[in-house]
Amino acid sequence: MKLPRYIFPILIIAALFGGYFLRTAFTQPSTNINYSNETGATATFIVDGLKCKGTAAFFTTMYDSVPGIVGIQTFATEHKAVITYDPDKITKDSIKAIMETPVLFQDGTREQVFKCVSIK
Amino acid sequence: MKIRSRYIRYGLMTIILAQVIYLALGLGARSFEAYCPFGGMESLWGLFTAGEFSCALGPLNLSLLISLIVLVALSKKSFCGWACPIGFLGELLGRLGGKIWKKRPRISAKMNFRLKLIRYAVLVVALYFTYKTGELILRGYDPFYIIFSGFGHGSAGVISVIVTVAIAIGAFIIPMMFCRYLCPLGAVFDPFSRIGLIKVTRDESSCTSCGNCDDACPHDIPVMTLEKIRHRDCTNCLECVDACPERDTLQVRVEL
Ligand code: SF4
Ligand code: SF4
Repeated sequence: MKLPRYIFPILIIAALFGGYFLRTAFTQPSTNINYSNETGATATFIVDGLKCKGTAAFFTTMYDSVPGIVGIQTFATEHKAVITYDPDKITKDSIKAIMETPVLFQDGTREQVFKCVSIK
Repeated sequence: MKIRSRYIRYGLMTIILAQVIYLALGLGARSFEAYCPFGGMESLWGLFTAGEFSCALGPLNLSLLISLIVLVALSKKSFCGWACPIGFLGELLGRLGGKIWKKRPRISAKMNFRLKLIRYAVLVVALYFTYKTGELILRGYDPFYIIFSGFGHGSAGVISVIVTVAIAIGAFIIPMMFCRYLCPLGAVFDPFSRIGLIKVTRDESSCTSCGNCDDACPHDIPVMTLEKIRHRDCTNCLECVDACPERDTLQVRVEL
């Protein structure tokens, strides 16, 4: 069967869009930590600086002993952290302030590693 | 007037390249790396053993890899000839090289075959180190990462500069040098490309054996001697079809 040459751009665009939408079938967090079995409110933070498994793991350590944090899921490729928290103990703004706290490095310098771009 | 297939290809690849640059500038929701289909290969071991994506990879890398494998099984390496930004940049450099250096040396078929084995070695090395460490430690040697991250985090300093310059010079001298000899994604596509259903066919009865198609093929595929282009390296770029002076001698068809 003879085909027109436009078949190639059509197939490629279909494959790229198909691949884009197929991604939801493989959604998997980069890190997934539950500090307790409680339920709570959930907020999604888009975080500049959260870009790989290493930065995602470091991000979660900033909340290791913070009261009111129930769980954290990070999605590094989307620069996204989904945080479950107890609204009676902590607010979205204080969660944001924690991630933006400058970090003390081994060489004695202090630097802000993460910056919250948006909260949903 | 019939538009050359090359210009349709270049139009599509320019749009895709612009998208990648947009992402590389940090203007999109994801990093440009999240769109690399080879990242899907690099994720497989981590997903299999720990149910996790490695380093900066995610679901989109894997889903794009799967959809592109389906694409290749349908239409050979059309992704390489019609969409890949690195292939596009390499092709532009190759064209420039051809204009400046008119009598570029041609690689013999035997040498071409041998050199193509390097891409399988690159594939094995890339997967071995990624699977072993869980890190994308070969980023510093990957032109897609080096170019679009602007020698960003993970690049290997002066070695990355040398690799990029060497690949650019190589593309200038040998058309599609990176795609032919070094691209590990091309190696992944090879078995699927062999079965690719949509391919160029040649009508022997109207072929005058002028050799224009052989000269036009950037992958040195001997089109003039074949009835169906089953060759694993064919990107369905249609350069041979455009170059053929005999109407409908080379056609795009669905053939086994
Ligand atoms: S055989 Fe024709 S379509 Fe295939 S790569 Fe060569 S020029 Fe392009
Ligand atoms: S360019 Fe056309 S006519 Fe010339 S050898 Fe190739 S298929 Fe035959």
